[in-house]
Amino acid sequence: MMRAGDLTGVALSPAGVTIDDVVRAEIRHRLIARIGPLVEPTAPGRPIVVTLALLRQARTRVESLGEPEDPFAWKPIFVRRSLGLAIVAACANGRFRSPLEAAGPVASEAVSEWERTGWRTFHWEPWFAGLADGARAMVLADAVGWATSIWLSFDWNQLRPLPQIGSGDDQWICPAGRTVRLKGRSELRVPLAVASPLERERRPTPANEVGNRVALVSVSGGCPTEWWSEELAYLALVAGLRWPARPVPPRVLGLWPDSGIHLSLEIDEEALHSAADRVVDTVRAVVEACQSAAA
Amino acid sequence: MEVQLQSEPREVTTAPALGRHQVEDGMAASTPAARESGFAPRSSTPGVAAGIERRTWEPLVGDELLGRLRITGRPRPKTDPELAHRLRAELEDGLLGDDSDRRGGPPLVVTKDRLTRVLACEAHYVASEFGDRLPTVAMACGALIDVLFRQLVTVGSISDAMADGLAALSVDDHHRALVSWIDRLTDSQRDELRTEVERQANGLVRRWPTLDPAWFPRTQESVRVRLAGGTIELSARVDLAIGAPAQDEGSVAIIEIKSGVRRVEHRSDLHFYALLETLRSLAPPFVVATYYTRTGELDVEPVSDDLLIGAARRTLAGTRLLLNLAEGSEPRRTPSGLCGVCAALPTCEPGQHRTIGRVRHRAQGSDGR
Repeated sequence: MMRAGDLTGVALSPAGVTIDDVVRAEIRHRLIARIGPLVEPTAPGRPIVVTLALLRQARTRVESLGEPEDPFAWKPIFVRRSLGLAIVAACANGRFRSPLEAAGPVASEAVSEWERTGWRTFHWEPWFAGLADGARAMVLADAVGWATSIWLSFDWNQLRPLPQIGSGDDQWICPAGRTVRLKGRSELRVPLAVASPLERERRPTPANEVGNRVALVSVSGGCPTEWWSEELAYLALVAGLRWPARPVPPRVLGLWPDSGIHLSLEIDEEALHSAADRVVDTVRAVVEACQSAAA
Repeated sequence: MEVQLQSEPREVTTAPALGRHQVEDGMAASTPAARESGFAPRSSTPGVAAGIERRTWEPLVGDELLGRLRITGRPRPKTDPELAHRLRAELEDGLLGDDSDRRGGPPLVVTKDRLTRVLACEAHYVASEFGDRLPTVAMACGALIDVLFRQLVTVGSISDAMADGLAALSVDDHHRALVSWIDRLTDSQRDELRTEVERQANGLVRRWPTLDPAWFPRTQESVRVRLAGGTIELSARVDLAIGAPAQDEGSVAIIEIKSGVRRVEHRSDLHFYALLETLRSLAPPFVVATYYTRTGELDVEPVSDDLLIGAARRTLAGTRLLLNLAEGSEPRRTPSGLCGVCAALPTCEPGQHRTIGRVRHRAQGSDGR
């Protein structure tokens, strides 16, 4: 396991390769050209939503792709990430010393805000509000564990300006007969320092500023698969497709706190092509599973 | 390593030893690492500094309990990535050649329970791997106490132990069958369960210390270590981990909660946790401990190189057996204390021989006690 200061240094260091717009456009065109014919036979069907989880499922449990999905019901695990990120943000902003201290107040504030305005920032507020004390404590405990693993992975004093913590998923819809939506979910977007001829290293600007280069940070459970680099590159690919006016994230960090593994991937043209191939393979597997299930 | 556990209640005299540790205490707290870890020992521990010697055993309470966890009596182990690499190498080398057929498939998951069962008796391990375990009141009590402990650490209170515990289990899919089983208990069985859960939960609330949030306590922390090219996965879920990752010396404490009786194999479980944390973080935890909610006993063990080496060897031995069984080896039958509860007993001659022998032995009143 890398020490927090070292990992933060890796995240922040200036990135070398820049993906130019021609390469980005070429990858986009190739994806459209390959996905379109794959989904044509099943169009119009339910949208195929490609996520990191689906990429992994298609490699490690392909037989489960055709299984019917359970109807959605809230569980602590579905709250863990969004509440955990809100907890990390509250700590990063200096409101609390640690995730355990932040969890209760952050969750209560979310519920109060929903009760006051009717607006559900996280969607789980009504479910959480209706839970008995014991169940509520489990939701908080899960979120504390998850948030603590991120909080302890970085030296937050070095992460200034603060990274963008959470925020919406990157999404890109592939124009095809059947909707194929690529969703990329990163936990942090860390603005990178840039090498400058005037100053040896310019301080980064806030992560949400257009034109700024950011490193994405992805947190996963368990251990990395042998295809971890394609999976991390996928997040950069979706961000690059979603935001054509912004630089493609030049680096993606993967954190697997359960196994203490931190991996960093510099994004170059080859990495993006590998990720695009993986997307195509995944869509193909999903389509085949749908066809088998229907037969 | 042979571990002798004291039976309870027992006589203990802790104050002189702890007094000595307080010298280390101050030294440890003066290092930046100890300060950063947050879970550094304090310069004084209320109730201990007074030098009180106890003659009859009673459970530790609050700061005294915390002091016992923080001050192990040994210097905290230094962060030594080399040791972690050596431990990993020992495991990897010992498993070399066993992984070729498994490459590409799902890993063989090795847990503390699987290790204990397979090392006790391979046939028992095989029998217990298949079929659902029928819930018991003790099992239900354990599950309820686990979630109540999480609640206490996270929110600092338990209002109605049974109601809180059941509410907590009901949001966990893994406990669906158990919750349904509890719902179907007769009134008297349910009362029995409630009484024990409330007794243990009250003990927890009275005795368990408040943990400073700055020590980063986290419950049910998952720890995974892949070995042999991903064909083996060592897996654990620790009830409580306290302390930030180590800088220069071990700064993490791992605590296991048990609602049942004290058993010798619980020590091996702790050693397994210590090994996994060391492999994961490249730094050992400074202490591993089991807290028995039934009695309030705290079994604390400082982590040393010898402990980790022993844990690695035991893990290797058990993992090799698990691999052999996964590849179709005939399970060996080793009579042990588990025979009486083993699902394979009806068809296991050595097991029957042992249990019948023990029954006869007891009937003759010559069981040595």
